[in-house]
Amino acid sequence: MADILTATGLVKHFDDLLAVDGVSFTIGEGETYGLLGPNGAGKTTSISIITGLLESDGGSVEVAGESIATTSTKGKSHIGLVPQDLAIYPDLTANENLLFFGRLYGMGGDELAGRIDEVLEVVGLTDRRDDLTKEYSGGMKRRLNIGVGLLHKPRLLILDEPTVGVDPQSRNAILESVEQLSEAGMAVLYTTHYMEEAERLCDRVGIIDEGKLQAEGTRRELVSLVGEKDKVSITGSGNLSASIEPIRAFDGVSGVSSSEHHLDVLADDAASILPTLLAQVTETGGTITGVEVVEPNLEAVFLHLTGKALRD
Amino acid sequence: MKSAFRIAVKDLKLRIRDRSALIIGIIAPLVLAFIFNLVFGGAFDTGLSLAYGMVDLDQSELSISFSDVLEEIAADDVLALETFANASDAESAIAGGEIDAYYLIEQGFGSSTVSGGTPVIEIVGDVDRPTSTEIAASIAQQFSTGVEATQLALATTAALGGMPTSSPVAAAFSYQLTDVSAATRQLDPTTYFAAGMAIFFLFFTVQYGVLGLLEEEREGTMARLLAAPIQRSSVVSGKAILACSLGLISTTILIISTHLLMGATWGPPLGVALLTIAGVLSAVGIMGLVASTAKTPEGAGNLGAIIAVVLGMLGGVFFPIGQGDDLLSKMTFLTPHAWFMRGLGDLANDAPWTAALPSVAAILVFALATGGLAWILLMRRIRR
Repeated sequence: MADILTATGLVKHFDDLLAVDGVSFTIGEGETYGLLGPNGAGKTTSISIITGLLESDGGSVEVAGESIATTSTKGKSHIGLVPQDLAIYPDLTANENLLFFGRLYGMGGDELAGRIDEVLEVVGLTDRRDDLTKEYSGGMKRRLNIGVGLLHKPRLLILDEPTVGVDPQSRNAILESVEQLSEAGMAVLYTTHYMEEAERLCDRVGIIDEGKLQAEGTRRELVSLVGEKDKVSITGSGNLSASIEPIRAFDGVSGVSSSEHHLDVLADDAASILPTLLAQVTETGGTITGVEVVEPNLEAVFLHLTGKALRD
Repeated sequence: MKSAFRIAVKDLKLRIRDRSALIIGIIAPLVLAFIFNLVFGGAFDTGLSLAYGMVDLDQSELSISFSDVLEEIAADDVLALETFANASDAESAIAGGEIDAYYLIEQGFGSSTVSGGTPVIEIVGDVDRPTSTEIAASIAQQFSTGVEATQLALATTAALGGMPTSSPVAAAFSYQLTDVSAATRQLDPTTYFAAGMAIFFLFFTVQYGVLGLLEEEREGTMARLLAAPIQRSSVVSGKAILACSLGLISTTILIISTHLLMGATWGPPLGVALLTIAGVLSAVGIMGLVASTAKTPEGAGNLGAIIAVVLGMLGGVFFPIGQGDDLLSKMTFLTPHAWFMRGLGDLANDAPWTAALPSVAAILVFALATGGLAWILLMRRIRR
């Protein structure tokens, strides 16, 4: 499987903030690679460098053998970008949006017209092709946003959190589209902070936090990093976060994180620690409404590697 | 460059659908020019409507020659002249508002010159129209001065034993109409307000092109443009092409429509075209500079509006600013608006198109300075 994308040692500073710190990875033909990390981890900055939107302070990017920089034109033609924010013109129809972007990629005539028909079919907007996109639902706009990225048959499709703010039905449609593209041989770079999406779609996952690629591999390889640990997921209310520090001091606990209604604990043996754990949460002001002990997953891997939850 | 035009065409389609560019670029300046002309046009009118009467009781060669002079002036549409048989009829005409003043030439007017006396032309004017009466007096005064000079010349010639070479009556008076507007670069009111509104609204119109760059950022489409295999300069160029196109289209439509609908006389087409192109470039440069410093399209729009109004007022698009030595008169030429108006003034009164070149050059200096700086800042902005 030939590498379509090779990113090597990417570095980017924003003043004093090191947003991307030596990120390297490759994506092969027909492979879907997930970049998994919480908001602000460096995912969008990394793909901005990969797509030539942003100048890097170090490292290099090659797509289909072409070097990528902000001034590149040839290499960029191999990339299809689906930005996190909608990037379509609301006062143009779907057809006009696709015509405009297709022409920017050097397409025209029957080739472009035919390709627009195909793309509209893929994203399910054939019937609405002549409607202004401002009249579309949020999900339809998202689908067109993906369609624009696919239009010129890129070797590498980059989707930056494409399901943020999307209803479940449209979200499923988007995920199915990505699966079909991958099956068709397109290399896909998919960034998300939804663990389930990464687990469903990606052949390999890179876990990124604070600008660094913490680990990468298949789901099985990453989960093996956690070892035989259990994840205890506590749902509740009250002051759950107050119990974090005491629990962290327990023997056999390797990671604790909390959000408003959740407390996740990674432990060597959940069964032995559970009573003490629950007592501690109650003692520090939390009210428990549910407890679940789950097999290690990518979220557990993230917790293991960074000591915090993906949703943080 | 092809990509820049594609971006410009796409934006033009968006602006046409939006319709606001049409309103700001064409309808608003046309309506305002029309209203300004109606409201303030009279204040600029340098041509008085003069109507005089003539009561010649003498009917001598000299009095007839004065009547001929008045008729000659009347033939140039400077005044209207009506002849009355007696003073009472003329006074009735004044009372009825038909004439402003009348000349009364009593019997013996012509013979008084032969006897060495002083010919008297009596002027009776409407008390409510002092300016017209003053002008009537001036004409009579000049005629009288001419008669005296002729009398002196004839006396001198006779004393030297020669013969006069021309009729004393023919030599008595001559007049020359001097167009004051040419000397003061004064446009007629209709053209003045049409031109003022054209250059004033031009700055708002080109904003629709320039601010597109900030709208691409806000709408998220900038990322897709920058990720496309095109030169980054194409994005900025596309916006500049659209801004220039909108400016040129709207100004051209304004020029033609104000000429056809309001009778504005813009001057030689080539000179007007050069002034328009230079004006559009300067507007794009200045508004590009505004866009390069603003964070949002709304912020840029507000700042651009303030700058357009200040430059417009300072440039004298609403009211002419004098060309004296005071500070305001000097500051007015720190605006492309003033040079635009001056250039059009230079083209007035059948001047050749080249008369506009100094103003064109001055406006292009604004365009180059602001446009160059705007280009650098906008390219830096999209390079992030």
